[in-house]
Amino acid sequence: MNQHPELTKADRERYHRHLVLGEFGEAGQQKLKAARVLIVGGGGLGSPAALYLAAAGVGTLGIVDFDTVDVTNLQRQVLYSQADVGVPKVTAAAARLRALNPLIDVQAHESEVTAANVMQLIKPYDLIVDGSDRLSTRYQVNDACVLQKKMLVSAAIYRFEGQTFSYVPDRGPCYRCVFSNAAEGVTPNCAEAGVLGVLPGILGTIQATEAIKLLTGIGEPLVGRLLIFDALTMRFDEFKVSRRKDCAVCGERPTITKPVDTVAPTCNAEQRARIRQLSAAALPAQLTSLRLIDVREAHEYAVQHLPGSENLPLSRLAAGLPALIAHAGPVLFLCRSGGRSQKACEQAVLAGLVNVVNLEGGLLAWARDVAQTFKVAAP
Amino acid sequence: MTRCKVRVASPLRSYTGNAAEVRGSGGSLCEVLAQLERDYPGMRFRMIDEQDAIRPHIRLFVNSNEALNIDATVRDGDTVHLICALSGG
Repeated sequence: MNQHPELTKADRERYHRHLVLGEFGEAGQQKLKAARVLIVGGGGLGSPAALYLAAAGVGTLGIVDFDTVDVTNLQRQVLYSQADVGVPKVTAAAARLRALNPLIDVQAHESEVTAANVMQLIKPYDLIVDGSDRLSTRYQVNDACVLQKKMLVSAAIYRFEGQTFSYVPDRGPCYRCVFSNAAEGVTPNCAEAGVLGVLPGILGTIQATEAIKLLTGIGEPLVGRLLIFDALTMRFDEFKVSRRKDCAVCGERPTITKPVDTVAPTCNAEQRARIRQLSAAALPAQLTSLRLIDVREAHEYAVQHLPGSENLPLSRLAAGLPALIAHAGPVLFLCRSGGRSQKACEQAVLAGLVNVVNLEGGLLAWARDVAQTFKVAAP
Repeated sequence: MTRCKVRVASPLRSYTGNAAEVRGSGGSLCEVLAQLERDYPGMRFRMIDEQDAIRPHIRLFVNSNEALNIDATVRDGDTVHLICALSGG
């Protein structure tokens, strides 16, 4: 942070209510003016966080997102208006934030956060507010913050529940200490599961509060404390979390020395043995007791498919798994020749699906052994 | 019989019929989880792997104390919290 930039007459007028706060005062406002904050994700969490941090006078406010505004965003992403639909989020966000506070510098980064660019993206900033909607991004941002010793305020939401905590280098646990690894798909995203519109408003505002406290050095931040909010019961629960000596990025012997793309976990032999292999010949007798998931691409499914089967292409399986996990009965995965469905079975077992069945030999075996007129499309 | 409350993270509520809190019983986390599995089949495996380790996207707490393994003691009247990493933003 730049040291003690002078407050102008316009600053003093605008931030008067901060200046009269004894704990905050002129020194606190100067620290905010010197601060550089990056908001990762201009979504439900990023919207309120950005608005409050801009209003509060954070001197340089960056926002990174690769998406455009969609009408379904407007139920909770309060940075945007109807007229912004179709506009890149960072463009609309920057215009809104500059209109709110012309005294600050707003930086728009229209980009997807990746393992390759995250180090460069966060480099100019002092503190990162993570409001991303992907676990892989959360790990990349966390790892980059640990490696570059940046402060991080993390939050995540799901339906009516939110969780948040802050990381300060050398003072407390990082995101990997709290959740050492989480495969994409262990929880569905908001598009699939829904989210109460006001929920990210609460969590994003907490993130802005935390960022201001950390930048100005006031109060007691959520370092080493995981805060869980349940909107339905209106409960805040707090849990003490500790730094892990064996943490892969901030532990004593780190194995992560640069941000990485998440590698899909694989089944061990025991897990693989749990997948029941079913032959095409045996399928007719069991058809009614199985939920059929066809993991071929949509164009293959469209040519011909088993009656009652649902299409969930392997490429989109992770997003659909949580809904399948809630299904109590056996789930049969099928594809053209049995390869993709075996991969789907393994992903399903890793995600926690208990009763998993693979159609051995796939629809080619079905067409050979059971229904000779069945047309199996080329992939 | 040791009785406890179990607070269920949202992503696990598909097992409990959307209940945020259910009753648990058992003198250790291991026993409480076994009872949960009997009441809500498949739920334990979402949290605990084949080696009885707590899955990396799950954290378990007895009251506000973190349980690093499933041997943790549960006493009458305790609350077991099942916490799951969330991804939405």
